[in-house]
Amino acid sequence: MRYNGFSYLIGEGFSNVLKNKKSTIISIMTMVCTMFLFGIFFSIGVNVNSVLEQVQLKQGIQVFIWDETTEDQRLQLESEIKTLDGINTVVFKNKQQALDDFKEMMKDRKEFLKAYEGENNIFPASYVVTLTNLEKSNEIQDEIKRIGAKIATEGRSQEVNLDIEESTEHDSVIKEITSSDNAITALITIVKGVRIAILVIFIILLVISITIISNTIRLTVHARRKEISIMKYVGATNGFIRWPFIIEGIIIGIIAALITLLVVGVLYDFVIQKIQTSAVLQKMNITLLSFIEIAKPITIVYAILGIGIGIIGSSMSMKKYLEV
Amino acid sequence: MIEFKNVSKIYDTGTEAVHNVSFKIDKGEFAFLVGTSGSGKSTLIKLILKEEEATKGNIIINGRDITFLKARSVPHLRRSMGVVFQDFRLLPDKTVYDNVAYAMYIVKAIPKHIRRQVPMVLSLVGLSTKAKCYPNELSGGEQQRVALARALVNNPSMLIADEPTGNLDPETAWDIMNLLNDINARGTTVVMATHAKDIVNRMEKRVIQIDKGIIIRDDKKGGYNSEV
Repeated sequence: MRYNGFSYLIGEGFSNVLKNKKSTIISIMTMVCTMFLFGIFFSIGVNVNSVLEQVQLKQGIQVFIWDETTEDQRLQLESEIKTLDGINTVVFKNKQQALDDFKEMMKDRKEFLKAYEGENNIFPASYVVTLTNLEKSNEIQDEIKRIGAKIATEGRSQEVNLDIEESTEHDSVIKEITSSDNAITALITIVKGVRIAILVIFIILLVISITIISNTIRLTVHARRKEISIMKYVGATNGFIRWPFIIEGIIIGIIAALITLLVVGVLYDFVIQKIQTSAVLQKMNITLLSFIEIAKPITIVYAILGIGIGIIGSSMSMKKYLEV
Repeated sequence: MIEFKNVSKIYDTGTEAVHNVSFKIDKGEFAFLVGTSGSGKSTLIKLILKEEEATKGNIIINGRDITFLKARSVPHLRRSMGVVFQDFRLLPDKTVYDNVAYAMYIVKAIPKHIRRQVPMVLSLVGLSTKAKCYPNELSGGEQQRVALARALVNNPSMLIADEPTGNLDPETAWDIMNLLNDINARGTTVVMATHAKDIVNRMEKRVIQIDKGIIIRDDKKGGYNSEV
C-alpha cells in the first residue's frame, strides 16, 4: 500500500483529544447532557408506542358461530380468516369455554348458571380475532361476514345434492360479529396523535442537540484558530488540517455516546422496573420494553448522533478559519 | 525565480499598498526588502505567499504565474518555499521535533525519510538537544531556529523571511543571519523583509527599497540607506 499519511492524521486526531483536555471534557459533557435528554425522550417514546401497540393487539373482534355449524365448516372458516391480511391471532372458544368464562364473570351466582350446563348451554362458540392494524377493523369484519355466508351457501348446495331433509336454516355460519368500535376509533386517534407528538419532540431535540454541540465545537476551533492559520502558512491543505479535527470530533462523539448509553442503561432498567410493577400495567398484562430491547435502536441513534455531530460540527465550524 | 511585473495592490479599504512594482530575483540570490512600516514590504511578502491577490500585474514564481492561482493550489505554492515569520508561528502543542516533522507530513513524506531528515535539519540549526522541548520552553532565538528548520526541512528552492530578527536581541539576530547566509551559500534563494539597518549594512547583499508602495532603489550590493 502506498503511504498516504492518513495514519498520521488519525494519530493527530487522538493526540488532539488528549492535549486539549479542557475542551475535550467540555465537549463530552455537553454532548452527554443533550444526548441524555434525547435518550429520556427516546425511551418514553418507544415505550408509549409499544404499550399502544400491545393495547391495539389485544382489541379483538368476536365472531359468534351458529350451533348448527359442522366441524368442517368451522375449520374452513378458521383457515379462511387466517389467510386474511392484517390478522394477528385467531383463537377458538367452544361453547363450554364460553360458559366457563361467563361463570367466571358471575362468580356469586354460579348456582343459577348450573341450569345451562351441557345440553342446555345457550352460549355460542366463537372465534376471537385480533388484528395487527386496528384501522382495518371494519374491512376485516366485512370480509369475515362474506366468508361466513360463502361457507353456508356451499354447505346448502351440498345438502341439496345429497338430498338431506333438514337443511341449514341460516344464511351464514356466523351468528354475529361484535367489536368495540368506539374504543377502536379512539385508540386509533390516540396512537396517531402520540406518534406525531413523539416525532415532533425528536426533531426539536435533534435540532437543539446539533446547535449546542456545534457551538461547543466552534468555541474549541476558535480557540485554535491561530494554530490553523500556522498550518495554512506552512502549506497544509484544508483536508490535512480538517481531518484531525474531524477525527477528534468522532472520538469525542463516541466517548460521549458510550457514557450516555451507560447512564441511560442503568437508569432505564431502574425506572422501568418501578413502573412495571404498578397495578395498572399488571392488570392489563402489558409489559414495558427492557433495556436490551431498546439498546440496539438507541445505540444506533447515539452512534449516528455522536459521530454525525462530530463530523458536521467540526467541519462546519472550521470553514471560517480555513480561508487564509 | 521570483518576478513581479507591474504589480499593484489596492486593498478593499482603498489604500494602494503597492504601485506598479516590477523586480526580479534570480535563483541563488540573497535579497533584502527594506522600507519603513507601512511602506508596502509586508504586502510584497503577502503577495508572494498568495495571502493577498494582486489587483494588477503578474507575479511569477518558479516559472509559474501565480496571479490567478486557484485556492486549491495555494498550499502547493507555499510548500515550494520555506517561510519564516517575525512571530515564529510554531504549533504550541507540538514538540520541536513534531513542529519540523509537520512540514514533512504535509507533503506526505515517508516516515522513514522523516525520521532521517528532521534530526539532520535540527542539527543544522543547532537544536539537536532540544528536539523534545515545546516552543514555550525555548528562547526567542531558539524558536526562530525551529521555524527555520521547519522552513528548510523539505529542501525548498527559496526561503521567504518576514522580519525574522524583529523579535530577537542583536546577538541572537546575528545567529539567525549567519544561518540564513549558510543556507544561501548552499544554493537556496533567500528573500528577507527587514528594517534592521545594521544587518543590511553588514551583509552587503542586494537591497530592494520600497517606500509608499514604489521601489525607490534596487542595489546589487547595498546598504540600508543609499548614502551608506
